[in-house]
Amino acid sequence: MKSVPLRALGWPQIKPIPLAIAGVLAAILPMILNSSYWVGVCTLALIWMVLNQSWNLVLGYSGIWNFGQLAIYAIGGYAAALVSLHTGLPWPIALVVGGFAATLVSLVLAIPSVRLRGIYVSLLTFGFSEVVRLLVIADKTGITGGTFGLSGFDGYGLQSMEPQARYRLIYWIALAFVIITLVAMYFIVRSPLGTGLMALRDNPSLAAARGVSPIKYQLLSFGISGFFAGIAGGLYAFTYGVVSPSLMGLGQMTLLVTMMVVGGLGTLTGPLIGTAIITLVQAELQNWPEIRLILLGLVLLAIVVLMPRGVVPLLAGRMGRLNSWMSAGESKESKPTATSTKT
Amino acid sequence: MNAILQTLVSTIVQGSILALISIGMTLVYGTLRVLNMAQGVMVMVGGFAAYTVVDRTGVSPWISIAVAAAVTFLLGVLTYYMAVKPLLGRPGVDFEMTAFITTFAVATIVQNIILMIYGPRQKPFDPLWPGGINITSEVSITYHSMIMAVLAVGALVALGLFLSRSRYGLAITAVAQNLDAARLMGIPARRVYVVTMGIAAALAGIAGVLLAPLYFVYPNAGDLPLLQALIVVIFAGLGSVKGTIYASYIIGFLSSAVAIFWSSAFALPVLYIVILVVLVVRPNGIAGKPQEARL
Repeated sequence: MKSVPLRALGWPQIKPIPLAIAGVLAAILPMILNSSYWVGVCTLALIWMVLNQSWNLVLGYSGIWNFGQLAIYAIGGYAAALVSLHTGLPWPIALVVGGFAATLVSLVLAIPSVRLRGIYVSLLTFGFSEVVRLLVIADKTGITGGTFGLSGFDGYGLQSMEPQARYRLIYWIALAFVIITLVAMYFIVRSPLGTGLMALRDNPSLAAARGVSPIKYQLLSFGISGFFAGIAGGLYAFTYGVVSPSLMGLGQMTLLVTMMVVGGLGTLTGPLIGTAIITLVQAELQNWPEIRLILLGLVLLAIVVLMPRGVVPLLAGRMGRLNSWMSAGESKESKPTATSTKT
Repeated sequence: MNAILQTLVSTIVQGSILALISIGMTLVYGTLRVLNMAQGVMVMVGGFAAYTVVDRTGVSPWISIAVAAAVTFLLGVLTYYMAVKPLLGRPGVDFEMTAFITTFAVATIVQNIILMIYGPRQKPFDPLWPGGINITSEVSITYHSMIMAVLAVGALVALGLFLSRSRYGLAITAVAQNLDAARLMGIPARRVYVVTMGIAAALAGIAGVLLAPLYFVYPNAGDLPLLQALIVVIFAGLGSVKGTIYASYIIGFLSSAVAIFWSSAFALPVLYIVILVVLVVRPNGIAGKPQEARL
């Protein structure tokens, strides 16, 4: 009986068998795909999954319309790249430093954001990310490399490996971070913090009246989300050996927001599934770059208009209806046992 | 002295254009509660419409202003039907936010269609009136920037008269002030929405033609105006027409002062820091009402 109140609260339930199948498939994917191009596409998708998962915590679970996440992601990437470039520290430390730099910036962005409501937050954060992008482009000091970006750092330090094994290893590193992020998000969402964030999203005044501090909780949400976004930025930097202002910008933002909206905001699997779908579509359209973004915009528009909650909640709803239809049939056929268990 | 004079001239020109672009955003937000992220694209489309007309038919650029206004008006109406109307009155969905995303999607679509048709290259556009005058030996004003200021102010005055005198304008004002009361008086709110989106887009389109000789015509031409307009509307508080006009000139002054006395690369970041401070001190802008009161 325990599963009913859990579902009513909107907590994610672990479905072990599909998760295990997906995990095994993801792990052996680079063995199946025998082209380095597709392994590269999948690696990029995994990095985006980490980023979208982190973004989803603020955008989906906390309901704070933060559109500045790409700047935080890029700052994480730049920080990790700078550490890798100027010091001899190993890459995991550089990644974590990038994560903490992103956390810091995210908290700075959060301070004015949590004071504002609704549309003003999106204005502020959207402007923030554009200004970070313009500042990097205008940077003449050479720290960030301006328009052309920063390159020439070691990254994972795998240059001596033969290409195919290297691509696979990089893929598995990214996959490991996707799993870490997923597990972390699962525990955050299940924790009192997650419940508090959702309460603040659904009914701010009631939640605040019940003792959930909006400022404290939302700052935490920004901080955690910033950390994982920074990690994603570092992964990007080390995978491709370059960070540039093209990590940010309107086109990128459309792409990532579409992924989350397609998958379903405020769900754990939504960002993963949305990212997978959109990355696949984008990779298939590689040869027609002109219509790629047009199609992306149309998909975003259509999804918001036709199924605003995304694919995952829609399928989950259908699945739930199927389940209840099946169980209703069961209880109708075996009425005596159903009543006997009740009493 | 020269730098100060230059700043003043630049303030008037920039402020007027900014007012033209951001008044559309604030008007749409005031009536529909939609933050129209496609406004920047309208500026760009206005420039392209004028460029195409002048390039293909060779008419005077003055006529192209009217064409650009008409094209962007239609595009604004189309945006309403594509991105806003399907969301109206839908339960369980945060309307403001979904509309923010859909107008953003429209902006992406339009921008990339233009990119596909015209390519990324910058297109030159002749000034409406070439030449200029020198005020002092170092400070000069081109006739074009004078025309920009005059036309922008003229359009704003016309808009003010339209909103306060004409039948349709009064309907827009009424819907913006109190939707329920306006509907009870028999004003068809949804048609008012259509007209408002069209007018807002047309204003941006006119601004696009005026800006075209300065910044050229290219598919990303709308990004910077959108960003500046966003700063203006945050500063002013969404939905306040008067506040938007004041804010436009303040922001115009700040950005030209920073550009002239320091570096144009820092104009936007400095503005942004100002905005941060304003938002922390007055979370609803200089003239905005608290958001709860407006819902």
